[in-house]
Amino acid sequence: MMLGRRDFLRTGSAALIGLSLKSERKIEGSFVNEAAAAGHLLRDRKPFPPPKQTLKLPVVIVGGGIAGLSAAWRLRKQGFKDFVLLEMNAAAGGNARSGENEITAYPWAAHYVPIPGRQAVYVRELFEDLGALKDGRWEERYLVFAPQERLYLYGRWQEGIEPAVGLTQVDREQFQRLEDSFAKYRASGAFTVPLEVGYWRNFAELDQISFDDWLRSKGFDSRLLNWYMNYACRDDYGALARDTSAWAGIHYFSSRESEEKGPITWPEGNGWITKRLLERVAENVRTNQMVHKIVPTVRGANVFAGDTEYRAEFVIFAAPTFLAPYLIDGFPRLSDFTYSPWLTANLTLERMPDSKGAEPAWDTVFLDSPTLGYVDATHQSLRTHIDRTVWTFYWALAEGSPAENRQFLLEKDWNYWKEAILRDLERVHKDIRQCVSRIDIMRMGHAMVRPTVGSISSEERSRLKRREGRILFANSDLSGISIFEEAQFHGVEAAQRVLHHLRAAR
Amino acid sequence: MGILLFLTVLLVAACGLIYELIAGTIASYLIGDSVFQFSTVIGTYLFAMGLGSALSRYLNRGLIQRFIWIELMLGVVGGFSSALLMWAFAFTQGFQLVLYALVVVMGILVGLEIPLLMRIVKDRYTFRDVVAHVLTFDYLGALGASLLFPILLVPHLGLVRSAMFFGLINAGVALWSTYLFAPQLMEKRSLRAACFAVVCVLGVGIAKAKEITTTAEDNIYADEIIFARDTRYQHIVLTRFKDDLRLFLNSHLQFSSRDEYRYHEALVHPGLAAIPVPRTVLVLGGGDGLAVREILKYPQVEKVTLVDLDPEMTKLFSTQTMLTELNQKSLLSPRLQVVNADAFPWVDQSRENFDFIVMDFPDPTNYALGKLYTTAFYRAVARHLSAQGFLVVQSTSPMFARDSFWCIAETLHQAGLQTFPYHVYVPSFGEWGFVLAGTHDYVPPKSIPGGLRFLNPEGIPLLFHFPPDMAPLPMPANQLNTQVLVRTYENDWKDISH
Repeated sequence: MMLGRRDFLRTGSAALIGLSLKSERKIEGSFVNEAAAAGHLLRDRKPFPPPKQTLKLPVVIVGGGIAGLSAAWRLRKQGFKDFVLLEMNAAAGGNARSGENEITAYPWAAHYVPIPGRQAVYVRELFEDLGALKDGRWEERYLVFAPQERLYLYGRWQEGIEPAVGLTQVDREQFQRLEDSFAKYRASGAFTVPLEVGYWRNFAELDQISFDDWLRSKGFDSRLLNWYMNYACRDDYGALARDTSAWAGIHYFSSRESEEKGPITWPEGNGWITKRLLERVAENVRTNQMVHKIVPTVRGANVFAGDTEYRAEFVIFAAPTFLAPYLIDGFPRLSDFTYSPWLTANLTLERMPDSKGAEPAWDTVFLDSPTLGYVDATHQSLRTHIDRTVWTFYWALAEGSPAENRQFLLEKDWNYWKEAILRDLERVHKDIRQCVSRIDIMRMGHAMVRPTVGSISSEERSRLKRREGRILFANSDLSGISIFEEAQFHGVEAAQRVLHHLRAAR
Repeated sequence: MGILLFLTVLLVAACGLIYELIAGTIASYLIGDSVFQFSTVIGTYLFAMGLGSALSRYLNRGLIQRFIWIELMLGVVGGFSSALLMWAFAFTQGFQLVLYALVVVMGILVGLEIPLLMRIVKDRYTFRDVVAHVLTFDYLGALGASLLFPILLVPHLGLVRSAMFFGLINAGVALWSTYLFAPQLMEKRSLRAACFAVVCVLGVGIAKAKEITTTAEDNIYADEIIFARDTRYQHIVLTRFKDDLRLFLNSHLQFSSRDEYRYHEALVHPGLAAIPVPRTVLVLGGGDGLAVREILKYPQVEKVTLVDLDPEMTKLFSTQTMLTELNQKSLLSPRLQVVNADAFPWVDQSRENFDFIVMDFPDPTNYALGKLYTTAFYRAVARHLSAQGFLVVQSTSPMFARDSFWCIAETLHQAGLQTFPYHVYVPSFGEWGFVLAGTHDYVPPKSIPGGLRFLNPEGIPLLFHFPPDMAPLPMPANQLNTQVLVRTYENDWKDISH
């Protein structure tokens, strides 16, 4: 028979205990992947111990995020293996890091890549290499499974994030008019990914006003439309529309064809890409190696990390560019680089909350929430039966100034953020406290570059991009927007240039 | 008072017989072998009644009060006997122990009733009259009960509620007796309170009986539920009416024992018999072992691998007599390996090849099941197909869900396979469809295993003909990122059911 008497008694008594203890589940968790303390050593210019060994190498890559890993991938793909990649954290990946528990792998930050267009040559090449793109066809298991997104509004669920419920005639007309104008910008060919390909100077004036001002000047005053535009800016830039360049706001909507296929994604988000890249370049990666000083020399640069001094001919600086003045001797102060602070959390759910009338979804967003909602890590699982899961919760602290928010983010303890997250979820999932057993939180003071007004057309930025010499910059913040494709583009470009110089020299 | 008294005898006798019939019926439903079950249940019951009669001599004082207490006890024990037996079947190892213990307890209580009643009324009538009247009404009650049971009770009330209903009659008799014998009774108030309590408990039982065994929202189970169980993965329900045993998973009918042979013969033989020397077969889903039963009819097949998510499902169908009778103990075959795993990840990690692969999943009613009908899944499965192999997919109804059926066929096609759709008529399902697929052409078999009830070699080619109302429709393939099939399926069935 099916269940022994002892089993029955056990489950029976467990059920009784469950009934008698109406109190909440105990929720465990902590802050994870903390990097602020190490970073502040640089900010405060603390002394570091002198190096114990010296290594001579043609190339050193600083920073193991997507830009650095992509540079490494390109070098090795071209048969060049004589380099190291120095990563300050215990694991490479940067914003494409991931975690894993007994239920599933899950992302710590970036969790998808939109289907790259024809112009994203390097990205397509990478995905062909990783087996996600075969003979022009995207691997079905990596395309986001249906249903993709859902929005909770007015006490009910709708499919998709763009509000479609409770729209007035005016709302509808404005959404349509805005879509038409995005289509025109799209057709202009100026808004591309990577950004470098498009001829953006045609629309340089758009970088001189905020997205919010632009919307207002065009008569877009629909509340729902403005919510959606702000959501988009928070989601991609960690900023409100009023703190975002209109050029960047338009780029979000006009840079990609409206594909019927969703983005590509994995349970661990872009951590999947990191893992695949590491399979190819792990040999060259040195983790827990915080670079604390770079001294330019006549024939290269000396990079100090841990107890080692690397004497490099070329340095690919793939770490966030704002670190350059703290690391590179004699580097001027930067003024056009602003970063948004973020918080991400991974919640372990022992069961799914009751949500009547809701189809499952990959991405869940609540109308008028200050947070960005959550992504379900098991949505992309091939299993048919899933009773436990992990949600990755995203929160860009966009309201207010980045510096104040950064401080606030570090000041408050884990319990504060845990409660803030649960309260946000509780508005929709009443029983969330009975479902969650663990909340791990990652705080990122400088999570992503912010495309503030004027930043896309910034002279400072374009100087760094075109910089010749022994130290080449590669972080996505060179583009002014922090997306996977930009990071990969600059990483590959830097590697190409280094290879070019090295070959020319020999 | 006379007629009322003898009416009591009639009711009491009817209750006694009903409990006996219920115990016998449930035993034969659940364990099978009805001759043995009925014989042993009746024998034990009668023996226990004799025991009760023998014990009656030890009851000397307060006979009326004792009688009322016996009625109340019988009301509770008999009233909940069906529910208890079904519970014992589902949740304990000792169904038979519970069954015979219950039969003995009920028999003793029933055996006490008539002797006590006779002694209660003995001073009012002559011995000759007492015996004549009491036994007359006793046998009359038995006749009524035995006619009522198959004609009215089982079809309309079901076993669980019939028992409770008669429990209520026992309790009613007890209550009535407190008035009938009021002059000779003390502590009437507490007795009546006890009567009311028992009536209430049984009343709630009857009201809740539906809820206990069926999902409240839809009244889909026309027949008696003999087994209901929430496993970690699904809601399993077995219903039975006469010789018709039905399995429901999450409220969806999986088979009816009356015509499942049509479904399972059609699922397996057109494909498997067309393979020259099939040695290895994979069944995905199909934890009922009925497809495996058909596959085991091929002596050349050396190894069958059954992958079903739910261990309770395969356990149920390898241990319960009525179910192993149906699948001919296929799940116990030494040629079979049972794997309890989620199909998609299992297929991904397996390195084995198979000559024939059967996909017998529930219909794509939700996005989770929808994953098992995608090009990604079919590509993964097709990698395990040997050069001579075929795979077959149960593909819902080409009549009621025509779009869905052709969507599945297109999905297999876009997964790089040649497809050969066919259909059969299964009375409890209606027209039902399958898609056979492989990497080479299909030639219907010239011979098939003997002893089939539905298929013969002449009939197989006819299955591949689709009349105009089921003819192919252009449909998109189902993919993980679109899940068009789930939406299509929902629309198809919405059109059928008001």
